[in-house]
Amino acid sequence: MKRLFLTLLGLVALGLATLAPAFAQSKGTVYYLVPTLLDEFQTGSVSALEMFLKQVGYEMKTLNADNKTDAQQSQMNDVIALKPAAIILAAVDFNALKPSVEAARAAGIPVVEFDRQITSTPSDFTSVAGTVEIGHIAAEQAEKLLTAKNGSPKGKILQVLGDPADPYTLDIQKGFEEKMKAFPDVTIISVPATAWAADVAGTIVADQLTANPDIDLIFSHAAHLSVAGVASLEAAGKKPGDIMMMSSNGAPVGLDLIRKGWLNVEVEQPLYAQAAAVAMFMDKVANKQEIKPGEYDVLGLKGVVTKEAWGPNIKIPGAAITKDNVDDPAFWGNLKPPAGTVKPIE
Amino acid sequence: MSPRKRRLLELVLDNLVWFMLLFVLAVFSLTVPNYFQLGIFANIIEASSVLGVMSIGLALVVIAGHMDLSVESVAALSAMLVGILFCSAGIGIGLELHPAWLAVPVSLALAVGVGALVGSLNGLLVVRLGMNAFIITLASYIWVRGIVLAISGGRSAQDLAPAIRWLGIQRLLGLPVTAWIAILCFVVFSLILAKTPFGRHLVMIGGNETATFRAGIRVNRNLVIVFVLAGAIAGLSGWLLAIRTSGATANLGIGLLFNAFAAVVIGGVSLKGGVGALPGVYAGVLLLAAINTAINLMGLPANFTQVIHGLLVLAAVLLDTLKQSIRQRLA
Repeated sequence: MKRLFLTLLGLVALGLATLAPAFAQSKGTVYYLVPTLLDEFQTGSVSALEMFLKQVGYEMKTLNADNKTDAQQSQMNDVIALKPAAIILAAVDFNALKPSVEAARAAGIPVVEFDRQITSTPSDFTSVAGTVEIGHIAAEQAEKLLTAKNGSPKGKILQVLGDPADPYTLDIQKGFEEKMKAFPDVTIISVPATAWAADVAGTIVADQLTANPDIDLIFSHAAHLSVAGVASLEAAGKKPGDIMMMSSNGAPVGLDLIRKGWLNVEVEQPLYAQAAAVAMFMDKVANKQEIKPGEYDVLGLKGVVTKEAWGPNIKIPGAAITKDNVDDPAFWGNLKPPAGTVKPIE
Repeated sequence: MSPRKRRLLELVLDNLVWFMLLFVLAVFSLTVPNYFQLGIFANIIEASSVLGVMSIGLALVVIAGHMDLSVESVAALSAMLVGILFCSAGIGIGLELHPAWLAVPVSLALAVGVGALVGSLNGLLVVRLGMNAFIITLASYIWVRGIVLAISGGRSAQDLAPAIRWLGIQRLLGLPVTAWIAILCFVVFSLILAKTPFGRHLVMIGGNETATFRAGIRVNRNLVIVFVLAGAIAGLSGWLLAIRTSGATANLGIGLLFNAFAAVVIGGVSLKGGVGALPGVYAGVLLLAAINTAINLMGLPANFTQVIHGLLVLAAVLLDTLKQSIRQRLA
């Protein structure tokens, strides 16, 4: 027993000794608090952030909140006690995490908001695509698609939302509907898919197609919802192109559906650029240096840093993916991480 | 009370949930635009297939006086395994078998087998080690979902092999084959529960485990079998889920467990065990699907679905209590 214990102790000591040089080379540990791992965008964000932060000398650790606000609050408390170089937060709930952000900053730990903006309290840096803007881009695409089909922006759109408690989907809906107001001949039917469940989305599409066979366009707020929508269309005897489809977030499944002709447009969130921007500014964030407003080249995209009430904010525009540009490796849905390395902003 | 009135009252009490379903369908048909059409009724039956099959396994365990919280995660695991092996996009490896139709029995066997494996583990821990079913199956609910996440890496598989997808697209009498599979399951397991010694023993075990043991019935063996069955049936529901959505996502089926419990309770199965029949459970599943469809068509926020489900379960429990007291008076 004693021998076994000593062997184990020896192995632990050996492991720690191996780890020591790695820590010595690192500029510090950054914690990424991801809202969930049940979604391809979030899973992709973990690997993208880890890759880019490593390129600029930081080690990253990830904690998953399983979409639970209280779990993320506890994680924030735990991470604050560990005094990392910075915390990257993709908040489950924008408002509920406000006190945690304030507590971290009061403890001298910089907080970076990733993907999900918190505007009610200052942060050290925010990197977002702009969910409302994604809704705007989707509206522009819907206008084009309806005009191409009906001669003018008119017709019926089924909007399949994500979970009704998720501000991400509500923001896209807000952006989409505020732009679509300009077209009074367009009817929008909005139904939420609770818990972002694909099977729920499939049922919604099946029900709505039966009740409203004249639907022109189906807009799902995530690509995996479109997959279930396509399954329902197939079950109803539809072929690619019979009903126009569009979704947002740019996940690999959405790009596959474009290639197969089911999906007309996928509004991409520039995941790689959003993550690269965090890495580019991490030195400034960790050392509490000023981040100057202006335009920055982020993986070839134009990122604009502005000084907002909640701190420096970089916004990188989303893009519309169609059959013409679907194979562009810049889209994260093609799962080809950029070959070049990012450099810290001086 | 005249014998005729008494028979009528007993008929109503025995099939209360079916009357509730008819009432709800009538009300929605009259009040919700576009609800009253064959296509919508077919959608309701189709949407009930996954939840319906899952509820069968859960109902069997509950009737036997136990609980299985793992069915949702088991279904997700089966769906994900089928998705990874037989989908050609996303994380699917696009396994091809010759002839192509072999994919159907192989994927089905895989889904059911994985479910049975988790079910047997649950059953052995509950029965052989005398551990609490709630805790054991709660742990399974968590670790099995964890495996789904681990093997998928949070990504999804799509574009299920056409030979398997055929079951979700091909229609017989206006319903997809998957819906007929669910109906067949209800018929078969209803007969097993009502007409076979195994079924009757389950009801007896749920009513009084000690008395059943003293009557010479092998309680432990039957309990292990019912957990294996619940797992295998959950695997089957996962297979149907993968077919329905043409693949699998890591969050597939989240929330099905609570709907399955709601359907079981609404269907007249007592959570204390020893009481219940599967036709009532199917009516409960159809009732929930009918309400969901109405909410979809009305465009109400989804939160209302949960409120209505909650109230419906409460109403079902209250009705069940009322039913018991009327029966006592009749006796």
